[in-house]
Amino acid sequence: MATNRLVQQGVKQVKPLLSLDRTEARRRVLNLYKAWYRQIPYTVNAFYIPVTVKQGREKLRELFMKNKHVTDIRAIDMLVIKGQMDLVETANIWKQRNHVMMFFKDTVNPKPTDFLSKFYEGND
Amino acid sequence: MAGVHKLTTGLTGLPVARHPHKTLKVLYSRILAYINKMPSDAGYRKHTEQITNQRLHLVNSETDVQKLEEKINCGQIEEVIKQAERELTLARKMLEWKPWEPLVGQAPPNQWKWPLA
Amino acid sequence: MASRICQFMRPLAYSVARKNVLNSIPIVYHKFQVRNNSGAATTTPTKYSTIATRNEAIRQHLTQFGAYVAECLPKYVQKVDVYHHDELEIMIHPDGVIPVLTFLKDHTNAQFMNIVDIAGVDKPSLENRFEIVYMLQSIQFNSRIRVKTYTDELTPIESACSVYPGANWYEREIWDMFGVFFANHPDLRRILTDYGFEGHPFRKDFPLSGYVEVRYDDEVKRVVVEPLELAQEFRKFEANTPWETFPSHRQLEGKYQKTTKPEEKK
Repeated sequence: MATNRLVQQGVKQVKPLLSLDRTEARRRVLNLYKAWYRQIPYTVNAFYIPVTVKQGREKLRELFMKNKHVTDIRAIDMLVIKGQMDLVETANIWKQRNHVMMFFKDTVNPKPTDFLSKFYEGND
Repeated sequence: MAGVHKLTTGLTGLPVARHPHKTLKVLYSRILAYINKMPSDAGYRKHTEQITNQRLHLVNSETDVQKLEEKINCGQIEEVIKQAERELTLARKMLEWKPWEPLVGQAPPNQWKWPLA
Repeated sequence: MASRICQFMRPLAYSVARKNVLNSIPIVYHKFQVRNNSGAATTTPTKYSTIATRNEAIRQHLTQFGAYVAECLPKYVQKVDVYHHDELEIMIHPDGVIPVLTFLKDHTNAQFMNIVDIAGVDKPSLENRFEIVYMLQSIQFNSRIRVKTYTDELTPIESACSVYPGANWYEREIWDMFGVFFANHPDLRRILTDYGFEGHPFRKDFPLSGYVEVRYDDEVKRVVVEPLELAQEFRKFEANTPWETFPSHRQLEGKYQKTTKPEEKK
């Protein structure tokens, strides 16, 4: 009992969201990735969006890799939960075309970086 | 419909009880059986035992349903039966939760302070 | 034939039902009427007619009930308070959401069968920044109660849907607006924001203007969402609330004895 208490001093006890350890969290992430990967052909077809399956899968990979720095198991779980809800919204076609195209941000112009183009933009 | 003093309770989904005395006695004895498994100094046990015993005594002593309703003073007899049913499920769950144990954890400082600052 | 009998019986049953209901009303509300009658005598008229008058009887009644709850559930209740004369609040540990709500719903002396609302509060300076407030009503005893608990961004709270099915949408609202996850919720998904919306708008760190703007683009023939770029002159928001709130609240504070801790009641 006393040893238990000593060990617990350094680690804060938290309530798990879904996963109890890293392997489980990792498995959830991979499962979500696979589910999205398989869903993409149907999504591209159903929403009639100007995106190929390959582009869709590249975007999927990019969005997953955006969060690769996250190490907290609960933060990973929270992202998985939100991704899962997103997948359900897409698969059930609750979303519309523009909602799906929001992932691609194709109308957003990249911000100017060098001095001259900033000057032409008229900002700053 | 012999022995029933009214045709309807006037409440949707709540039919008139045929044998309210019998039902209540069974329910109260079952509540008391669950309550008896709790430690004797538990606050929940003390209060529920008091309510249940009081009502059980009234049920045993009064045969007329309308007078019984007046004496219990908590709605029609059908509602009293519903209350007893809910208390029974609660008592069963309470045995599992053991709410008489000491506090699970204090709130962090300032959690319940309002206004802040 | 059966319908004939029904037609004949209905007025009869109705009149009997009416009679019974009329008989039972004074019985049902007897307890509360007693409380009100005794309270009326102690109410003192104040100079300001818009300020709610303080009713000692009701206040004492609520304090007693709070102590009763704290005595029955010492494992979960952290603090009991009566706010603004007649608003009973029970502060509980997040583990005790289901037991406390079930107790308040099923116990014969409580019977808070109605869930009125569930609210979220964001206090970013605290360790557990979110507060979840359950507002309950008891039809039987004509009274209301608030149950408060706390959590942070990543700690799940047990869903109250198993106790109150009506809590379903309220919890979805809180999930959507604050990002508090409710464990074992039957159908947790967004309810107020648009599909694809990112962030939780009721969090205090969510900017007033949001992160994105939405417009119809004629070239791509659809609604597009773009990161928000506000010119500097539109960025000056009036951050102060127009209502004068806390100073007067704080002045009132000193007059009343508050904070009845469950430990002291024993």
